[in-house]
Amino acid sequence: MGKFILRRLLLLIPILLGVTLLIFLFIRLLPGDPASAILGERATPEATERVRNALGLDRPLHEQYLEYLSGLARLDLGSSFLTNRDVVDDFLQRFPATVELTAAALLFALTLGIPLGMLTAKRRGSWMDSAGTVLSLVGISIPIFFLGLMLKWLFAIEVPILPDSGRISLIDYNIPRVTNLMTVDAALAGEWGGVVDALRHLILPGIALGTIPLAIIMRITRASVIDVLNEDYVRTANAKGLPSVIVDSRHVLRNALLPVVTVIGLQTGLLLGGAILTETIFGWGGVGKWIYDAVVNNDYQVIQSGVLLLALIFVLVNLAVDVSYAFLNPRIRYS
Amino acid sequence: MRTWRWVSVLAMLVLVLAACGQQAASPSESEGSEAPADSAEPAPSESEGTGEPVAGGTLVFAGARLAASLDPARTSDGESFRVLQQIYEPLIDLAPGSSSELVGVLAESWEGEPEDTTYVFNLREGVTFHDGTPLNAEAVKINFDRMQNFVEEIQGDAYYYGQFMDGFGPDNLITSVEATDELTVTINLREPAPTFLYQITLTPFSIVSPAILESTNADSVDGTFGTDVVQGGTGPFVLEDYVPEDNATLVRNEDYWDTPAYLDRLIIRPIADPAARLQALQGESVQGFDLVNPSDYETVTDEGFSLLERLSFNTLYLGITPTARETVAALTTDDDTENDRTDLEEIYGGEESPLQDLAVRQAVAMAIDKEALIGPFYGGRGAAADTFLPETSAWAEAVAAGVEPTTFDADGARDLLEGAGFTDENPATINFWFPTEVTRPYMPDPAGLHQAIKQMLEDAGFVVNSQSDIWDSPGYLFDGQNGYYDMHFLGWTGDYDDPENFYGVHFGYSQGEPAAQFGCAVDGLDDAINTATSETDEAARGEAWATAAGLIHENVCFVTIAHGDTALAFDDTVQDYEPNPTGSESFRTVWLSGE
Repeated sequence: MGKFILRRLLLLIPILLGVTLLIFLFIRLLPGDPASAILGERATPEATERVRNALGLDRPLHEQYLEYLSGLARLDLGSSFLTNRDVVDDFLQRFPATVELTAAALLFALTLGIPLGMLTAKRRGSWMDSAGTVLSLVGISIPIFFLGLMLKWLFAIEVPILPDSGRISLIDYNIPRVTNLMTVDAALAGEWGGVVDALRHLILPGIALGTIPLAIIMRITRASVIDVLNEDYVRTANAKGLPSVIVDSRHVLRNALLPVVTVIGLQTGLLLGGAILTETIFGWGGVGKWIYDAVVNNDYQVIQSGVLLLALIFVLVNLAVDVSYAFLNPRIRYS
Repeated sequence: MRTWRWVSVLAMLVLVLAACGQQAASPSESEGSEAPADSAEPAPSESEGTGEPVAGGTLVFAGARLAASLDPARTSDGESFRVLQQIYEPLIDLAPGSSSELVGVLAESWEGEPEDTTYVFNLREGVTFHDGTPLNAEAVKINFDRMQNFVEEIQGDAYYYGQFMDGFGPDNLITSVEATDELTVTINLREPAPTFLYQITLTPFSIVSPAILESTNADSVDGTFGTDVVQGGTGPFVLEDYVPEDNATLVRNEDYWDTPAYLDRLIIRPIADPAARLQALQGESVQGFDLVNPSDYETVTDEGFSLLERLSFNTLYLGITPTARETVAALTTDDDTENDRTDLEEIYGGEESPLQDLAVRQAVAMAIDKEALIGPFYGGRGAAADTFLPETSAWAEAVAAGVEPTTFDADGARDLLEGAGFTDENPATINFWFPTEVTRPYMPDPAGLHQAIKQMLEDAGFVVNSQSDIWDSPGYLFDGQNGYYDMHFLGWTGDYDDPENFYGVHFGYSQGEPAAQFGCAVDGLDDAINTATSETDEAARGEAWATAAGLIHENVCFVTIAHGDTALAFDDTVQDYEPNPTGSESFRTVWLSGE
């Protein structure tokens, strides 16, 4: 197992190098120029030239790329063209927000998705199964921005029981930032009301973002459970009179979870990559909106370093998923 | 059963959390009875209808973005100014609500007329920076010297200094800044600059604590002044925390040199989408926001919020460039293939531009019913633009005296076109660009405005090809400003009140050539603009700009379309916010009534 993990970690180097090259080239192929984004209406040709020169954009591409790589080798991911802020600092400030949002979305998707998948599989063909199919289709096809705005309108404005946006009520709480995880920081500050408030702020964006993973997890769980239910060992377990709770949890679910875990891993990687729409609608300062703004403004340094960090996290999450297979199914051995 | 248990537990959890929130007082309820969690100040109490300001409370306000940099000298946009002008102050400023009246801020008084090359500023006594160091003449000198000597890598960010002070370095407009005594600063200019005093009212010319500049290594490319939370200003609020994309938290400066702010804390949140800003106000997570979508004005007032109108200081115009097709053709035949614009050449198809004919340009101006655009696109709050200067400008009347307004007349436009030889069989075909992925106060709906004007032009007999490109890419701003488009939308928000900042910036000649954006080569225009720019007598300056503006409008180098008002919305607890046409607004006088 150790060797497997080491080999996968070493593979990171060519993967990330490939990512840097691709992103470096792609963003420069995009129409646009950081200088115009910085200057807006005031982008006179002279001012544009001055900014391009200051940013080093007038130099040959290979020189720019080598300089970027040499920065990476020194663990210097550079700073934003637009704000001059250090990319790593900015990332570390925003990533915890994304982690909280991802956790909320996954909690929502898993706690509903797996039981509902299991239920619809066991009641295959019943009205419950049909309703589950319809619901999951709706979940996958409903646009997040629509769902987000509807949730806000319904639960924050018409029936105001939940906050509409932000990570905590700034009017009521002034929480010192330590980890940038709002729930944790509120707890560290001893503001238990703040912890509850931060959790309440997670509900609507968590539901909006978790709906698609919920639908996918439910469908995969259903399909996987149906497969397992037809296995001989399940029939045997039922035949020998084991209580259905034991059969379901020990034999069916555990064996059915393997493909589900794969999907959860992929979804986690995707969600950690940021959720532009959810973050925009709910005023959530995560990495998705950060990268999106960087793309819109052609902030090359943020795009290339931000995407690199996200690629790193994506690969690591998937490695963790692969490792978890071994625990779920002891027959899997990595060498 | 097991499944339903899970579902029930989750549902219970959601309900409990929702209920917990219900138990806590909602923000507006808590204002009158509870101090914010961190505040040691007495709770804001109700003013009991007296209208007397009371101190205390937290105001959460939403803008579209936070500051691009925390170094005022390195910012150039209104959202950055909004945050930074609460913290940093210039020597002099525009009076609240005014775009032309100057008031002393860090300078108690000043000497110097538009025709002078020396300005003397007498600083206020007893002003200290937030870090406790005193404000003195040396500090002001250090700030001006710093900007003049910005290294090249930083010069690109310092747009306003470079633009207003004629670049950087020892040869620019400022020949020297002297600390004449402890509280007297003398600024010497190379030549008279009639708008100098207005220019230094802008946030980038704010004075920063020299100790902070030094400790953050502010003049180096790797300096951290623009990103660190530091206490380097003299303003009514001190920066306490700054989380990009999330919030800027400011607290009252208890040692402010004038009456301190009423608010304990001011939190500015970035919410990019206007609809989401309105929802945040409705959901009580903010108490006010800027840039209300014109289509939401009615909703805001119907729901009992107050709508504060900010009279416009901007102008949308239709740029007309008769030389666009020649410019693009020249690019493509050039040896330098990197700048080839075959994409635009294909659009133009080698045809000559009908816009070269003055009568056709006049027909464009005549075909547009500007008034008809104000209702649907500006919520009825803007104004049709006869000249580049908004009505709030003190120069508007003087300049308008030189400009003959064009009256909307579709039939007249058709006659003009026919007179120029363009008929239904041989129509005048023009390409009309609009930007996507952007809204501006002067241009709330670029695509909609484009469609409306296109229809008006077609009604007058033009054939209009719609073209668009993304705002932030060279595709739009670069191409438009370099004069590659037949016709395009663009606009301008004034930095200060002087015709030079409108007509001069756009139509000033460079090395004997007219501005590429319009290719407006009109006999006598270069001289007229130079005369107007250097004229220091106010009345004569007005007349000179009227002459220059007259030439520009007569030759239809552009068509000014509309001045767009902007508006802020507040809940009923927020009092005494004073909008300014330039957007230069302080929260110092704002208080919460606790209703």
